Amino acid sequence: MKVLAAGVVPLLLVLHWKHGAGSPLPITPVNATCATRHPCHSNLMNQIRNQLAQLNGSANALFILYYTAQGEPFPNNLDKLCGPNVTDFPPFHANGTERTRLVELYRLIAYLGASLGNITRDQKVLNPNALSLHSKLNATADIMRGLLSNVLCRLCNKYHVAHVDVAYGPDTSGKDVFQKKKLGCQLLGKYKQVIAVVAQAF
Amino acid sequence: MLALQTWIVHALFIFFTTESVGELLDPCGYIKPESPVVQLGSNFTAVCVLKEKCMDYFHVNASYIFWKTNHLTVPKEQYTIINRTASSVTFTDTSLLNTQLTCNIRTFGQIDQNVYGIRIISGLPPEKPKNLSCIVNEGKKMMCQWDPGRETYLETNFTLKSEWATEKFADCKTKRDTPTSCTVDYSPVYFVNIEVWVEAENALGKVTSNHINFDPVDKVKPNPPHNLSVSNSEELSSILKLTWINSSIQGFIRLKYNIQYRTRDSSIWSQIPPEDTASTRSSFTVQDLKPFTEYVFRIRCMKEDGKGFWSDWSEEASGITYEDRPSKAPSFWYKIEPSHTHGYRSVQLIWKTLPPFEANGKILDYEVTLTRWKSRLQNYTVNDTKWTVNITNDRYIATLTARNLVGKSDAAVLTIPAYDFQGNLAESKCYLITVTPIYADGPGSPESIKAYLKQAPPSKGPTVRTKKVGKNEAVLEWDQLPVDVQNGFIRNYTIFYRTIIGNETAVNVDSSHTEYTLSSLTSDTLYMVRMAAYTDEGGKDGPEFTFTTPKFAQGEIEAIVVPVCLAFLLTTLLGVLFCFNKRDLIKKHIWPNVPDPSKSLIAQWSPHTPPRHNFNSKDQMYSDGNFTDVSVVEIEAANDKKPFPEDLKSLDLFKKEKVSTEGHSSGIGGSSCMSSSRPSISSSDENESAQNTSGTVQYSTVVHSGYRHQVPSVQVFSRSESTQPLLDSEERPEDLQLLDNTDSSVGNFPRQQYFKQNCSQRETSPDSSHSERSKQVSSVSEEEFVRLKQQISGISQPYGSGQMKMFQEISVADAFGPRTEGQVERLETVGMEAAVDEGMPKSYLPQTVRRGGYMPQ
Repeated sequence: MKVLAAGVVPLLLVLHWKHGAGSPLPITPVNATCATRHPCHSNLMNQIRNQLAQLNGSANALFILYYTAQGEPFPNNLDKLCGPNVTDFPPFHANGTERTRLVELYRLIAYLGASLGNITRDQKVLNPNALSLHSKLNATADIMRGLLSNVLCRLCNKYHVAHVDVAYGPDTSGKDVFQKKKLGCQLLGKYKQVIAVVAQAF
Repeated sequence: MLALQTWIVHALFIFFTTESVGELLDPCGYIKPESPVVQLGSNFTAVCVLKEKCMDYFHVNASYIFWKTNHLTVPKEQYTIINRTASSVTFTDTSLLNTQLTCNIRTFGQIDQNVYGIRIISGLPPEKPKNLSCIVNEGKKMMCQWDPGRETYLETNFTLKSEWATEKFADCKTKRDTPTSCTVDYSPVYFVNIEVWVEAENALGKVTSNHINFDPVDKVKPNPPHNLSVSNSEELSSILKLTWINSSIQGFIRLKYNIQYRTRDSSIWSQIPPEDTASTRSSFTVQDLKPFTEYVFRIRCMKEDGKGFWSDWSEEASGITYEDRPSKAPSFWYKIEPSHTHGYRSVQLIWKTLPPFEANGKILDYEVTLTRWKSRLQNYTVNDTKWTVNITNDRYIATLTARNLVGKSDAAVLTIPAYDFQGNLAESKCYLITVTPIYADGPGSPESIKAYLKQAPPSKGPTVRTKKVGKNEAVLEWDQLPVDVQNGFIRNYTIFYRTIIGNETAVNVDSSHTEYTLSSLTSDTLYMVRMAAYTDEGGKDGPEFTFTTPKFAQGEIEAIVVPVCLAFLLTTLLGVLFCFNKRDLIKKHIWPNVPDPSKSLIAQWSPHTPPRHNFNSKDQMYSDGNFTDVSVVEIEAANDKKPFPEDLKSLDLFKKEKVSTEGHSSGIGGSSCMSSSRPSISSSDENESAQNTSGTVQYSTVVHSGYRHQVPSVQVFSRSESTQPLLDSEERPEDLQLLDNTDSSVGNFPRQQYFKQNCSQRETSPDSSHSERSKQVSSVSEEEFVRLKQQISGISQPYGSGQMKMFQEISVADAFGPRTEGQVERLETVGMEAAVDEGMPKSYLPQTVRRGGYMPQ
């Protein structure tokens, strides 16, 4: 798992984060085509729904696990410290077309995946003994990685969308411990809230 | 390792070689290839090249080279001298896996020197890996395994490769000890299809397995349910409720289960029907269990749709069902002990403890009741399995029930006989003696036997009767004798049977039978049969029974009658068919055509012949619309004579007369399409006669005696060409036709065909010219004539009134149009019939008609 975390998170950061720049960046080169390594599976939408349900089912537990692991004052001040006040969070419109929803989902998951990578990195330093939290963060990141693969497959296969511009959250590497914890808690609170809406939309 | 060996061998050769020449690390030559890996069974060639310096030093060249494999010299036939410095050796069909090959030279004629040495490694390229499959143990990494195929004898590396559609994962290299499986480094991600394959590679090649593409969630082996617990229900003693906690994978996939259970002391598992546990759940109530019984349970789960693998079995958990009232009364017995008190006796009641499956719980105590004759019930509660009580010498009824926490069992009842009980046994009566063993813990299973104090012959013999009687056998049956009349054990039966005159035959039958078949009987014979039953003391005959064997066996009569009937029917059918085919011949001999004198040519020839028919009736017939039958005589023209003017004149005359003769066909002789007297259109045959005989007329006088005593109005003269008496000439239609045709002056015209085609059409189209008709010179055979009649009669019937209407519209002028043949012929027929009616001499001899001439009569 450590190997995975060590491999996946930097990969996400490299692919999506680019040193934490906040401006939208193309995730694929401009001339990229929709070529995949092998043909995408035909049951993609069903798999996407299952992945969203999987994320939705674990989001609250992750949130609780997180703020519990941070210790006081987080558990008793959730509204103040962990309110879903995340700026620049990618929008999601549940009533859009499937194509729009998939593009927005891609942006959303890419944003969350990168943020989760930051949180995981920070928590390994801040709470090195919170193994359950680390595991849960890694598992969630893995599911998001698979979800991105499926969404990309779907966008390529059906809508011939070769690339999607994505935006990422602020880099926390330079922030103090409390700010790191607070931003992580806010992000996970927002994630819990948004993923329920997204799972419902598919 | 292989390279290391090669290197060592190489070094040693170098060492020894250089030492011999006094120079380190400078071999006298070398072998190419250096480190060969050869496929088993293939050819291999190695070349040894000598250095010039060595050659000069030792005074040798390539011809001095000889090869050794594993210290054995290779035959020179395998050598090839390439040039002065190089010699090669070739091996075909290499089969050795590891061969040491050295290149040597013989120096100074006697000293063998190693020049160089290599090691040849042989093996096979890898086969395509087969049966690649993967499993994802929940919470662990994915593991895949495969069948590597044949042994390669070489170091072969297997690499498991995997990728999503959008990215590739790191390769999974097999470990040396598990070359056929590999566990990937990354955590499985469910609901994303992954493609996996294996690459096998060794020195002789690389091969890739088939790719498999799957969703890891379909290869998952869940963790077994845990914390399995069992609880019972006080309300129902036959159920136990299981509860458990599912593995975490239940959060996003649905599960199904297998639940197995057994009693504590059994080793065989029973399984809950899988369809009852085919969906995700965390509890299940097992029913139909035995009360107060300990059961052991275990459970496992897998993905609901059956994709993936069953989990391991959970840890076992046990539970005991709640108690139920004892299902059976305890077996109990009594012992009577000698009494010391007059009028009383000591009785000990003893019983067995109920086995657990009947006790259905913990037996708390037993309840005993004693009831004396006409006295009150007395209850006692006992904790032990025996109880002693002093009772009077009277007869008692004792009952026993066992009680547990839930309730009481049914009562076991026992009669304690009175003290003075003595058996009064009679002879010839069957007694059932039952012995019940009494063990230390209660009575055992009883055994019974029938017995007689003394046997006697039966009071009555068995009544025999027949069950089935055949021609040569009879099945007899009888009933077992009632016990009351047996008077002993029936040992056997004897059947006596005889005919009235014959001797009696006896047959012994075992007493267990109630049926016997008498065989070799005589058919149609009265038999008398009786039967006797025997005990050890004698026998007794039963009443006599008589029966008669039938004359024929069942189905015998049918076997005779049916073929006879069939033969008769067949004969009849053949006869009818024969008659039908030869009907003309038969008719000719039995029922010949009778000519009608009124249609005699002689009678019709006279232009003054008064109309002999009722014209009014003709009109009436027309109006009735019955004009459907037609009389036809076919005539073929004998020559092409054209009608003479006088013939045409007489034709005009008959145009008028035709109207009056239409529909006046008498029905004698069946010489018409319709043999009835129904009206028909007739053209004037008399007219034809008048026309056609104008040139060579022979006259004769016909003296009518009148038809049925009627006086003819005029004397009629007729004309005949026949040399025979006139009536004879009318015997046969063809003769008549010949006669008529002789008068015809018109040549061949397909009139016959026309008639054959449609008789009614001829009638509905009476515009056929008379001249055409008269052109025909025919020699119609009798057969054709008959056929034509059939056609006509067959056709005329179905047309009915529709046809009739058409006829009513026909004008007289049209009747003499181009198609009047039918009319002419009908007139002929009428004439023939009339002749018969007038009682002319019945001479039916055939006559000879001579054309173109006549003879006076």
